[in-house]
Amino acid sequence: MTKGIFASVLVSAAMAVGLAAPARAEFPEKPVEMTILFGSTAQTIGQLLADLMSKHMPEPVVPVARTGGGGAVGYQHVHGTAADGYNIVWNSNSISTSYHGGKIGFDHTAFQPIAKISVEVPAFAVRADSGWDSLADMAADIKASGAKLKVGASGKGSFTHLSTEAILAAVGLSDMAVHVPYDQGRAPVELIAGRLDAALQWPGQFISHHEAGTLKILCVTSAKRISQLPDVPSCAESGAEGLDLVMWRGLAAPAGTPPETVAKLEEAAKMATESEEFKAAAQTIGFEVDYADHAAFGELIARDDRTIADLMGQLGLKAQ
Amino acid sequence: MDLLLTAAQVALAPAALLAVLAGTLLGVIFGAIPGLTFTVAMALVVPMSFSLETAPAIGLLLGTYIGGMTGGSVPAILLGIPGTPSAAATVLDGYPLTRRGKASLALGTAVVASAFGGIVSLIVMVVSVDMVAKLALRFGPAETFGLLVFGLSTICGLAQKSLVKGLIAGVLGLMVMTIGIDEMEGVQRLTFGTVVMQQGISLLVAMIALFAVPHVIDAFVDHYTGGRRIEAVADVRAELPTIRDILRDFWLMLRCALLGTGIGAIPGTGGPIAAFLAYAHAQKSSKRPERFGKGEMAGVVAPETANNAVTGGAMIPLLSLGIPGDPATAILLSGLLIHGLIPGPMLFIQNPGEIYQIYLAIIVAYVSVVAIQLLGIRFFVQVLRVPAHLLAVGIIIMCAYGAFAIRNSVFDVISVAVLGAMAYGLMRVGIPLTPIILGLVLGPAIEREFRTAMILSEGDPSVFVGSLPAAVFLGLAVLIVGTQVVRATRATLSARRTEDKASASVTPSE
Repeated sequence: MTKGIFASVLVSAAMAVGLAAPARAEFPEKPVEMTILFGSTAQTIGQLLADLMSKHMPEPVVPVARTGGGGAVGYQHVHGTAADGYNIVWNSNSISTSYHGGKIGFDHTAFQPIAKISVEVPAFAVRADSGWDSLADMAADIKASGAKLKVGASGKGSFTHLSTEAILAAVGLSDMAVHVPYDQGRAPVELIAGRLDAALQWPGQFISHHEAGTLKILCVTSAKRISQLPDVPSCAESGAEGLDLVMWRGLAAPAGTPPETVAKLEEAAKMATESEEFKAAAQTIGFEVDYADHAAFGELIARDDRTIADLMGQLGLKAQ
Repeated sequence: MDLLLTAAQVALAPAALLAVLAGTLLGVIFGAIPGLTFTVAMALVVPMSFSLETAPAIGLLLGTYIGGMTGGSVPAILLGIPGTPSAAATVLDGYPLTRRGKASLALGTAVVASAFGGIVSLIVMVVSVDMVAKLALRFGPAETFGLLVFGLSTICGLAQKSLVKGLIAGVLGLMVMTIGIDEMEGVQRLTFGTVVMQQGISLLVAMIALFAVPHVIDAFVDHYTGGRRIEAVADVRAELPTIRDILRDFWLMLRCALLGTGIGAIPGTGGPIAAFLAYAHAQKSSKRPERFGKGEMAGVVAPETANNAVTGGAMIPLLSLGIPGDPATAILLSGLLIHGLIPGPMLFIQNPGEIYQIYLAIIVAYVSVVAIQLLGIRFFVQVLRVPAHLLAVGIIIMCAYGAFAIRNSVFDVISVAVLGAMAYGLMRVGIPLTPIILGLVLGPAIEREFRTAMILSEGDPSVFVGSLPAAVFLGLAVLIVGTQVVRATRATLSARRTEDKASASVTPSE
């Protein structure tokens, strides 16, 4: 605990000194601040990553939570800092959803990608007694009955909501479903209680119930199956043709950060992702370690941004 | 039994015990300093728990949680500033008790009540985790909405003199919480096109502003005008409650403990709601309800028992369903995950040993909390010797730091200043602050549950009367508000009549 406070004091002190220091030696000569945008698992992974990166850098990486506004507040903060590598952000697809949803006035081009770290793949679950074994089953049943499908996901414009809509569109149920927004991972409970017909959330929230047989995971939204759930098909296999949506997480700095600084952070991030501790955490927390260098990461961000813009456009959620 | 013994060996090993003790101490300190809360303490502790073994890691987190929950009552009683939102209801009678020179008695009673609530909720959890979890499942959005509206109706009891002023305060609280991004529709509300306002007003920030800032301003005003020195409480003897004192409220404690456990088990509720409901219950069931708000011990016992019972209650959906009920349990969840414990139905089958370790850690945490606090009381009450204006400086610094620490945001510090100044103004015109807190706590949850219920029913409002629990709670709320309105109108009318009579009878008739 005192370590945390001490570190943040160090950071602020270092910042004050840093402003006055004339010539600059080699990066990093003071702690690097990593802004974390969300609580729960995003925060836990971020804290662990910062901890592991610190072992491969002369100065520590300090995780600082700036949650709120669905990531907008944290992006705004890092966007406003100097492009010197001392302020980095633990980012995700939320940069695209925040921008296209009109929450922030700048898009992914305002940031220099450092490295892709991990992906998280949402899972689509239904009640155990639904009798559905695939998305195709579900779609056929709903179309035959004419009743609306109640699907739980996070709030409108969130990544899980967009993924839900993409699945519904792929199986032709866009007009036959009601999106019920939930926060704090309550969707699985509502599903077990029978108030929902289906829910799309992170697998960690479903796995224990899936194993206990209280609900059934139909598919995962990535093109390939995931290591956490080797027996669960992908949504493409299950009836949603061509579906491939994953939530990546990675590190970025304000645009214009010098390449040699980016390279150092990239190297530390790479070492962290290769550690046994990080791999073990991936299994228990429920994400896939998926390192990519800054160039490949940049291409991914741009590609994903177009997909998200299209999706939000179709749903009438695109504000800019 | 073997499992229990093995678990005891692990959970009661020196390292694990030390971790629980350290966590509890840290929790009590963070809970006891106005401005710092145990949610912040837990966020700081999580990274430390990464490198610990499973048992000490769980112990550290649980200790911080429980210590913080109990520690929040210390400033609530001594200074009138709750250390956590859950302790807001404790202020109502705890602070008047301090002013009557009964600070240490109130503190001692509070810690015993807390431990009692926590242990009862633990027993309920051990005995009936499956049953309670199944019952909690029946509480969908419509039922939770009913329960929350019922909770909101207790504003009537807290409104003190004027029902209208109480309602104004409650609505102000509800309004403040609409600022920011609406998580359900993803739209911005009252953000004035800025990014900083998108984060909205944190409940903790609002609480610091409402309770601490007016108190501090008051202290300065008194000091510089040389006004009344009501703060000078000379009697700071450490007077502990006797067993008989505590047994007198035994049935009340038991009822409040069960209430707190039940509320804790329902996702989307939490400590503050349980505390206020328990307070209202204590007042209703008391033989002398008029003494509440003036320093009635039952008014401290009830909320403290209930808010600690929430800790055990909240563990039920957390462990059996994997659902965190509040920010603190969400942090606990990530701490469990990192050690490979995935909460949910399989946890009880795959990791029964760890479940026992969790139970034991909770017991150890409560034992340490009682020890720490009873030993600490004689030190805590020394705070009352510090001149009010000097203490105020310390409080305001801790509040500014605490507000910043929640989200590392300067916006939150400014919010404390702005809301605090407004709160001082409201206090001066006689608008009570406690209903504002109730509005703040319940507002977002009520809105969310109402809208979710309506979406689920596809716009059919009959869902709120169609289910028995929802109908019962809403009926109770209507009953409470109804009788209060009738009573208030009658009081106003009769006051007016006496007034009329007084002005009419210029010439004495008799």
